[in-house]
Amino acid sequence: MISNFIPGLIMIITSFLLPTIPQYFRHPAMLLSVGLSALSLFNGYGTFLEWDILGLNLILYQSDSLTLPFAIIFHIAAILVIIFSWHSKNLMEHMATLAYAGSAIGALHAGDFFSLFIWWEATALTSVFIVFAGNTNAAKDAAMRYLIIQVSSGVLLLIGACLMLYQTGNHNLVVLDLKTNFGIFIFIAFGIKAAFPLLNGWLQDSYPESSVTGTVALSAFTTKLAIYALARTFPGTDSLIWIGAIMTAFPVFFAVIENDLRRVLSFSLNNQLGFMVVGIGIGTELSLNGTVAHAFVHIIYKALLFMSMGAVLYRAGTTKASELGGLYKYMPFTTIFCIIGAMSISAFPLFSGFVAKSLIMSSLGGMGMVLIYFILFFASAGVLEHSGIKIPYFAFFAHERKNKVKEAPINMLIAMGIAAFLCIAIGVFPKYLYQILPYTVEYQPYTLDHVISQLQLLVFAIIAFLFLVKFKLYPSEIRSTVLNSDWFYRKMLPGIGKPLFKKIGLLTDSLYKNLGLSFKQVLSKSYKFSNLSYIKVTTPSFAGTILISILFIMLVIVLV
Amino acid sequence: MKKNDLKSMGKSFTKYILIIGALLILLDFTFHRHEYFSFAEIYGFPAFFGFVSFVFIVMLGKWLRKFLMRKEDYYDQ
Repeated sequence: MISNFIPGLIMIITSFLLPTIPQYFRHPAMLLSVGLSALSLFNGYGTFLEWDILGLNLILYQSDSLTLPFAIIFHIAAILVIIFSWHSKNLMEHMATLAYAGSAIGALHAGDFFSLFIWWEATALTSVFIVFAGNTNAAKDAAMRYLIIQVSSGVLLLIGACLMLYQTGNHNLVVLDLKTNFGIFIFIAFGIKAAFPLLNGWLQDSYPESSVTGTVALSAFTTKLAIYALARTFPGTDSLIWIGAIMTAFPVFFAVIENDLRRVLSFSLNNQLGFMVVGIGIGTELSLNGTVAHAFVHIIYKALLFMSMGAVLYRAGTTKASELGGLYKYMPFTTIFCIIGAMSISAFPLFSGFVAKSLIMSSLGGMGMVLIYFILFFASAGVLEHSGIKIPYFAFFAHERKNKVKEAPINMLIAMGIAAFLCIAIGVFPKYLYQILPYTVEYQPYTLDHVISQLQLLVFAIIAFLFLVKFKLYPSEIRSTVLNSDWFYRKMLPGIGKPLFKKIGLLTDSLYKNLGLSFKQVLSKSYKFSNLSYIKVTTPSFAGTILISILFIMLVIVLV
Repeated sequence: MKKNDLKSMGKSFTKYILIIGALLILLDFTFHRHEYFSFAEIYGFPAFFGFVSFVFIVMLGKWLRKFLMRKEDYYDQ
């Protein structure tokens, strides 16, 4: 019976039951549900659950060599997040986190675009509550923007899926290209969640506004689900190579000048996605393995870095670089874990980033793509700059700290410890990671050439940092906002829209008034119309909205 | 704890990094480093590339502040 139970669904059910569970048993119950869901990892490959509805065959549960590594890491990430948030009593956030992780795991196992769409929106609707749980005004505003963008991605996916069904009669998850209109819709839908250039604003906008624990959960699932979806439907799409290369290079400059360290990590997350997107674009077995391996290790070290900054936020009350520094004395374990995460993301040999990024670099080198290769090599120096140096340096060192803070709570240290252990274990024994990759490829990351080349790059980039600090050329941290692509809908559109709508409003207002006068003479006998209320445009009430939605759904069903 | 803890840590860190850097360059002379592209096989190429990239990233980022940096409450206005 358990073998055809959709993975992740048990987590969603548990999340709804959480309010009925006493406080002390909530976290164990959450862990248990992840454990039960993880049993599905042993089911092997195949299609386990289908559902015929409205003349459509929905594949609700399938698994193969591409879903397995993602499913494993999503379960690990869920466990890390639950341990990291053990101290927290925020019920809404726990429910949202568990349901979000469950939806992301469910999405991996969808076999057609319609079931994927349902999970796609489920991840959006659950994760928005995590942003919301940041519980500041900024977080609430960011949550609304986040919701609009995420739901738009889902709507585009649905349009794409409908067009595809209409034009080809097929709605299964198959390899698509950009020559079809539905291919483009689906590509953009995935591109929004994968934070393509100019579609990335939501990521840096919302993640840093979430709570201490919320950002860790957010960093793991949405974007990697998009990477999985791209790897499944658009492998070998050439334009992804350039999109990915731009994604690796551009966020680097933003990260240099950003003051909020959790926002720096969000830019860094964007840059890491770039490496994975390049791997999908190349589309060879080696490069796709590289993408999956990179997503796998990235979730761990990015969660580790977000956890260390979460711990800093929890204890010091801020993650603004301009206000931090000198925490190494008070938070020694967090410092060490953060440095392990920083060395992993920077791809130092013996750390997990090295064994994963090598696959993508080797496939680029093997194809002779010299320009892209060096853009990624350049971006590697950038990763070292913002995640390898800036994060640990400004949080824990930089200058002495005056007021004391406590070390992170034990549950946070355990979660960070597990993640740090995995970073090193994968770096030292990469063969266990390589075994679960989609394709069987013999690959040896630890060759003398490769190790020396990477170490030279990293060590001399560090020397460059020391040189810049020594000669006071390194930019000091300033409390500021750095403009990003969310500027277009946060400043530019309202800037044009507000005065425009005001003008239109005034125009129609005077038009209606003039009309109203003549109407009034006609309708003056009816008291209902005598106060001009009929010309006011009103928005439907909450109940009205629900009614309209129900009517709309009925209409759709009738038409289908 | 002494007040100049961080300074002494920074100094010893700089010392070790410079030693490791020098060793890595010396090591480059002892064997032929195979790369995908022949020009990357020049002695110390990755080191040079790393140093220059890093300085370029920081300097360009610093310059971009002119265009991209706003007050902290920019979006609240």
